[in-house]
Amino acid sequence: MNVFFRKRNPKFVKAASLAVMMLAGLLAAVPTVFAQAKPDPVALLKELDQLSDFSGKDFSAVFTIVTQKPGEKDSVTQARIFRRDTKKQFLILILLPEVNKGQGYLREEDNVWFYDPTSRKFSHSSVKENLQNTKAKNSDFTLSSFADDYAVTSMTEGTLGKFPVWILDLKAKTNEVSYERVVLYIRKDRTMLLKREDYSVNGRLMRTTAYPKYIELDGKLLSTQILILDEINKGEKSQITMAEQSVAPLPDKVFTKAFLEQVSR
Amino acid sequence: MNMVLPRIAARNLLRQKKRTILLAGAIAFGIMIVTLINGFAGSFIQNVSENFAYLMGGHVFVSGSEYTPSGKRISVIRDDSVIMKALEDSGQKWASIAKTSQATASLIFEGKSVSQNLTGIDITHSKMLKERLVLVKGSWEDASQPDAIIISQSVANKLNVLPGDKIVAQLQTVTGQNNVGEFRVAAISVDSSIIGSRMTYVQLEYLNNLIGLGKGEYMSLGIMLDRLDLSDGFATSLYTSMKGNGIQLFDRNAKQESTSTTPFQAMISEQNSETWSGTKYRVYTIDDVLSQARQIVVALDTASVAILIVLFAIVMIGISNTFRMSMYERIREIGTMRAVGVQRGEIRAMFLYEALFLALAGAIAGIVLALVIMGILGLFSFDPQSAIFLILKRGHLSFYLPPLRAIGNIAIIAVLTLVAVYAPANAAAKLAPAEALRTVK
Repeated sequence: MNVFFRKRNPKFVKAASLAVMMLAGLLAAVPTVFAQAKPDPVALLKELDQLSDFSGKDFSAVFTIVTQKPGEKDSVTQARIFRRDTKKQFLILILLPEVNKGQGYLREEDNVWFYDPTSRKFSHSSVKENLQNTKAKNSDFTLSSFADDYAVTSMTEGTLGKFPVWILDLKAKTNEVSYERVVLYIRKDRTMLLKREDYSVNGRLMRTTAYPKYIELDGKLLSTQILILDEINKGEKSQITMAEQSVAPLPDKVFTKAFLEQVSR
Repeated sequence: MNMVLPRIAARNLLRQKKRTILLAGAIAFGIMIVTLINGFAGSFIQNVSENFAYLMGGHVFVSGSEYTPSGKRISVIRDDSVIMKALEDSGQKWASIAKTSQATASLIFEGKSVSQNLTGIDITHSKMLKERLVLVKGSWEDASQPDAIIISQSVANKLNVLPGDKIVAQLQTVTGQNNVGEFRVAAISVDSSIIGSRMTYVQLEYLNNLIGLGKGEYMSLGIMLDRLDLSDGFATSLYTSMKGNGIQLFDRNAKQESTSTTPFQAMISEQNSETWSGTKYRVYTIDDVLSQARQIVVALDTASVAILIVLFAIVMIGISNTFRMSMYERIREIGTMRAVGVQRGEIRAMFLYEALFLALAGAIAGIVLALVIMGILGLFSFDPQSAIFLILKRGHLSFYLPPLRAIGNIAIIAVLTLVAVYAPANAAAKLAPAEALRTVK
C-alpha cells in the first residue's frame, strides 16, 4: 500500500508540511547563497595563472601536436620542452617530423631564437609565431599571466558540457598582447580552465582552445590535452598532448645556444 | 715613323698562318672567358638593383622608428610633412613617390591559405603601380575600392579565386596583436618574378586600419628616381636636408662592424643599440641594402683577373717557346738582315711587333667572340619564376662590358705578351750576324 495514501497523524502532517516549506525556502535561497559566493574575477584569474606557474621550479615535458588541415595529411610534430619561468626561459627541441628533427627555439627574456641544424644558424623568432606548421604558438608553451595582461569586462555563469562554469570576458590592457579579447570558461567546483576563445582586434573569433584533460603535478594542475580549432580557416585544428612531465631541476646549460647546438647534432 | 718593321712583323705572322692562328686562338679563348665574366659582373649589380627597386617600389627610402610606451619599437611615419619639406628643400628631382605600409598575412579562401606580403599603397592614385603591374583579370576601377586586393596569378591559382571573391587575411598589428580582415579580389596581375608573385597590393588606409596605424600614417616612403645611379647623391642630399631641418636621423655613415655587414645592417645595428624619444628616421638606398651584392661583383672581378693571369701564364709560356723556336727557324734571315745593316734594336722591335700584333688580334677576336656569345645568351628567355630572376633583365640574361675594362684587358694581354716575347726577341737581337749566317738548321 502506498504510504502517501495511509491515514496520517495531523501533528505529523503539520510537521511534515513545515519541513517541506523550510526545505523549499532553503532551496529558493541556494542561488542567492551561490550568487554571494561569486568569486572576485581578478582573484580567479590570478588563481588560474598560479595553476600553470612553475616559478622557482623547472619544468620539462614532451608535447605531441597533431595538426589537421583540410585536404592535407595529418602532420605530427613532437617537441621536448624545457621551461624555467623564473627567468622567462624556455627551450623547445623538435623531435618530429624527422625532416625537422633537431630544430629548436630558445627563449632568453623577450628574445626567441630559432635554430636550424642544417645551416647551423640561429635566426630571430617570436613567441607570437606558430610552432612549426601547427596551430600552436610559441607563447602556448610559456608562462602567461591573464591577470597582468587582461582586464575582466564581464563575468557570467554558464555550463560547458556537464560542468557549471564561470565565463570571464577579458579585454587586453595593452595593444601588445596577442589577442585583444579572450573569453575563458573556468570550471566552478575546482578552478581549471576548460575552454578559451581568442578574438582579433576587430572582434572576430580566431581560435577556440579546449582543455579536456588535466593531471596534478607538484600541486599544480596541468592540462595534458589541448585542442586548438582555427576559427578563421575552418577545418584546421591541432591537438596537443603532453607526456613525461617533470619538475626536476634542470642544469643552467639547458637554456643556452650551445646546448641547443649540441643536442641538435 | 718607320713602318717597315711593323710590315715585316705582320708578314712574318702571315707566313706562319697555322701557328699564328693557334697562338691568337689561345689568347682569344682566354680573353673571351674573362670578358664574359666581366660582362656578367657588369650587369649583375645593375640588374639586381633595378629588380629590387622594382619590387620595393623605389630607389631611395625613408622609414621611421619609434618606441611604444611599453618600450616596443615599431616602424611608422606619423607626420611626413617634415620629410616632404626636406625633400623640397633638397632641390632634387624624383620620378614618383609611394607611401606604403607592409604586413605579412595569411590569405585564406575556402580552406586554402597562402602566406603573402601585403603592401598597402594608394592604389587609386599610384602611377607607379599602374605602370608596373599588368592585370590579366579584373580592372583598375575595381582596384580603387577600399577593400580591394590585387594578387598575382600564382596566388590566385593557389587559392582558386577570381575577381569578386572575398578572401580573409590573418595578420598582426604593428604592436603584434592578431587581427583579421576581409578583402575583395579586385584584380589578378601577371607574375613578374618569384618575389613579385609574393607581392600583394591593398589600399593603404584599409591595411593601416587592420595593422593599427591611423589615417595618413604609413611605414615607408619610397622615392623612384629616373636612374639608379642617381640614388646615392639623392639620398645624401635628402639626408643633409633632413638634418638641416632638425629631424632625428640614424647615421647614414654608421660604422660597419665587418666587411660582411651592409651599410643598411650597420644602420639597423645602430638602431638596436640606442634608444630615443619621438620618431627617428632612416634614409637608405637600394645600394645600401644590396651592398653585399656589390661584394659579389668584386669577387667576380677578382676571379676574372685571377683567371686572366693563370690562363695567360700558360699561354705566355707557349708564346715564349714558340717565339724562341721561331727565332731559331729564322736565324739565317736574322743574320742576313743584320748583315745588310739592320740594327739590334730593330730586330728586337720586329719580334716585339709580331708579339703585339698577335696579342691585339687575339684579344680583339676574343672580345668579339665574347660579344657574340653574350648576344646569343641574351636571346634566351628565362621563366620569371626561376630563382635567377634577380639577375635577369626583363626575363633575359644581360651583359654589360665597361669599355675601360675591355681596353684594360687588351692592355694587360699586350704587356704580358711583350714580356713573354722579350727574352727570345732579345736573344735574336744579340745574335752575331756572321755566326747567324753560318748556322745550318
